[in-house]
Order: sequence, then structure tokens, then C-alpha cells
Amino acid sequence: MNVLRNLDRRVIYVLLFLLVLYPLVKPMGLPVSVGPWTQGSFDYINNLKAGDLVVVSFDYSSGGAPDVDPQAVVVVKHLFKKGVRIVGTAFVDQGVLFANKVFDAWQKQGKKPGVDFVNLGYLAGGETAVAAFGNNPLKAFPKDNNGNDTASMPIMQGVKTAADFKLIAAFATGAPGPSEWVRQVVTKYKTPYMAGLVTVMAPGAEPYLQSKQMIGLLAGLRGAAEYETALKEPGTAAAGMDAQSMGHVVIIVFVILGNILYLLDKPKKAKA
Amino acid sequence: MTTNWEVWVSALLTLGAYSILFSENKFFQLVEHIFVGVGAGFAVVVNYYSIVNKGIKPMTGKGEWWLIIPLLIGVMLFGRFVKGMAWITRIPISLLVGIGVALALRGAVQAELVQQISANFINVVGKTPGATINNLVMVVGTIGTIMYFFFTYKQTPIVMAGSAVGKWIMMVAFGAAFGNAVQGRISLLISRLQYLFGTWIHLIPTK
Repeated sequence: MNVLRNLDRRVIYVLLFLLVLYPLVKPMGLPVSVGPWTQGSFDYINNLKAGDLVVVSFDYSSGGAPDVDPQAVVVVKHLFKKGVRIVGTAFVDQGVLFANKVFDAWQKQGKKPGVDFVNLGYLAGGETAVAAFGNNPLKAFPKDNNGNDTASMPIMQGVKTAADFKLIAAFATGAPGPSEWVRQVVTKYKTPYMAGLVTVMAPGAEPYLQSKQMIGLLAGLRGAAEYETALKEPGTAAAGMDAQSMGHVVIIVFVILGNILYLLDKPKKAKA
Repeated sequence: MTTNWEVWVSALLTLGAYSILFSENKFFQLVEHIFVGVGAGFAVVVNYYSIVNKGIKPMTGKGEWWLIIPLLIGVMLFGRFVKGMAWITRIPISLLVGIGVALALRGAVQAELVQQISANFINVVGKTPGATINNLVMVVGTIGTIMYFFFTYKQTPIVMAGSAVGKWIMMVAFGAAFGNAVQGRISLLISRLQYLFGTWIHLIPTK
């Protein structure tokens, strides 16, 4: 027991590192179930028609990108496979980097900018910018990320407010996140809204699901893996789920061990 | 192993960031400074072009002269760096606070008060036993948690019982939040391991 009491924290790091790495090298094939939050998002997008117009907002920074970027990648993949047209925005400065990466890859596969998608780039202002976009997308983004006039683009014809979009899928690592989108756009324009969030933000956003202000929620890498499973196209997120499970096992074992040691030491401390 | 120098730089910087787990060292400090510097530099460049493209160019090129007003209000924020002119920053700050609060309040009443309260007006008896339990937890948990924050109300046995329920519901919520935090951190580790052992040294097949 004294070994555990005086355990160097670096031993835990090494153990965690090795046990997370092992299933990445030798996958165990644990099943990934699709939860109701993810299923809600998947079903809504699956029922969209070719030519429908949706917003995908890349409101995340590099710190949370490993959690959120796989969600955005798989949702955009599903939307394009359905023939849905995408208006890409970013209300976080680093978000535009990820928007560029995703849309550049699809442009190489034949999707046409201005017709199949438009990358509007970054708009500063946080919640104020989200409100401005909801009120008049063309006025908020008169030019796209490459400096082209948005008003003359085929994809933006007929767009007056956020009510003209069939869905807003916003991926966030902070603000603007669900609170801002719900306050400024969903409540006013009744546009269906789904969020992709870093895992820590998910419990805070759940009330919006229960009140039906949100149609679906992808929570972290797990959410992305569930979506890949629902789409029947497992990618990097699904590949990481064995490792995720092993990492959780390590944490749970050490939480239990820590509590056992605490309970064993409690009477001694009380006597002292 | 890849021969792409960009991947090598990224991989080595990742190792530098993780080296803090072993002990504080110069390599980690270098990586930390690069991270902060690149992040700050990127933000400056993006926001600079945002001001130029959305403010200065339309003003000078299209004659939208009224854009000078928000630009000047923005410049006022730098008043604090000029001796004796710090007072001028109060004008843009008061505008920012006023607009921000007004905008948030406009939506908050409907989105976060009315709709959240009405979402609790449900038939507790659900279609399945599980749904009934979920509904009960939601309604009792909401009432209990609100009762926990009755600081100025007389602590009668009913209020204390409700408050105790609220406390336990919040404990469960904190546990769920911690579990999600752990899950998020493991996800970050997985992403880096996929990069190091997949993209860099090709030990993991990359998709």
C-alpha cells in the first residue's frame, strides 16, 4: 500500500500513455453505440433534401480542435453527400483555419465555391456578430473569405435572414456557443439548430435539448465517433474509441484506488 | 517515418509540450512561448484584416464614410496608453457593455427563462418506466436545485428537504461534468498520439 501512497505521478502518465496507445496500434473493435443526442442530429440531416441550404459555423480554436474538428468533418461530409449546400462561417478567429481546411478538401473533390458552398470567413464581435448574421447574413458578410461579393453568388440568392436556412450546425469550444446561438438566432428566427461541442460543454448545453431549442448535440470525440458510426463510415474518431475506453479504465482504477487509500487512512488521521 | 519537415516540426513541438509531464525544462518553455506567440500573432493579423476589409476599404473605396464612427470609437480604446487620455476609453467600454448586455438580455428572457421553465411543464408519467424516471428526476431536480438557493427564505423542514435534494442533484451534475472533462482530455491525448504514431512515424494506419 505504501508503494501506492508514494506513487510518482509520472508512473500514472506512462501507464495512461501506454494503455491509450496500445488500442490505437492494435484496435480491439469495441462497439460504438449511437446515443439519442447524435441520432437526433443525424436523422435531421438525413432528411434534408438536395439543394437545401444550411449554415456550418466553425467556432472553435486549436486547443479544442481534436474534440470538435472530427465532428465538423463528418457532418460536412454527410451534408455534401446529401447534396445540401453549405454556408460556412467563423465567429472565432482560428475557426477560419479549420473552415479553409474542410472546404479546400471538398473543392478538390469537385464542389464549387459560390454554388455548392461558400466560405464566408471570420466575423469579429462574438454574440453581436452572431446576431448581425442572423438579422442579415449578406450585410454581415458582404464578401467571402476570398474577397468575392456574396450578394452575386448563386448560393446566397434568396437569403434574407437566418430563417432562410434549413439548419444551423455550429461547432464550438467556447463563446459563441449554444447560449449565444439560441439567444440571438434560434429564438428569433426559429431556425433548427444543432451543436458540436467540446466534451466539457455538453452537460451545460443539455437543457436546450430537453426544451427542444436544439435538435441534436455532438459531444466531443465520442459524438464524432457516434456520427461516423451512424453514417456507416468510421473515421479517425471511431478509431480512437478503443483508446478512449482504455483511458477511462485507467482513470476509474486510480479514482477507486485513491478512495480506498483515503478510507484506509481516515481512521489514522482521526486518531492523530 | 514521414519526410515532411512540417510534420517533423509539429511532432517535435508536441513532444516539447508533453515534456512538462516529466519535469520543467527549457524545451517546454520554448514550446510554450512559441504557442503563445503564434496564437497572439495570428489573432492580431486576422483582426487587422477584419478591420481593413470591413471598415477601412468600404470607407475609402465605396464612400461609406459613416464607418469612420465605429472606427474612431475603436481607436478610443487605445486612450489608456496615452498619459492623461485614459478617461476616453470609458466611452467605447460603456458602449460595448451597454450593447452587449442589451443584446444578451433581449434573447435571454425568452430563450433561457420562459422556454426553460415551460420545458418543465410536462406530464411526469412517460411512455416507458425509464422516461417516467427521467421526467421525475428533471422536475424534482429542478425544483430542489432552485430551493437550494433560497438563502433569504426561512429554513423550514420542507425547504431543507428540497435543498438536500438539490445538493445531491448538483453533486451528480458536477460528477458528470468531471467525467466529461476526463473524456475531453483523453480525446486530446488520442489526437496527439494518432498524429505522432500515425502521421509522423506511421505506426498507426491513418484514415
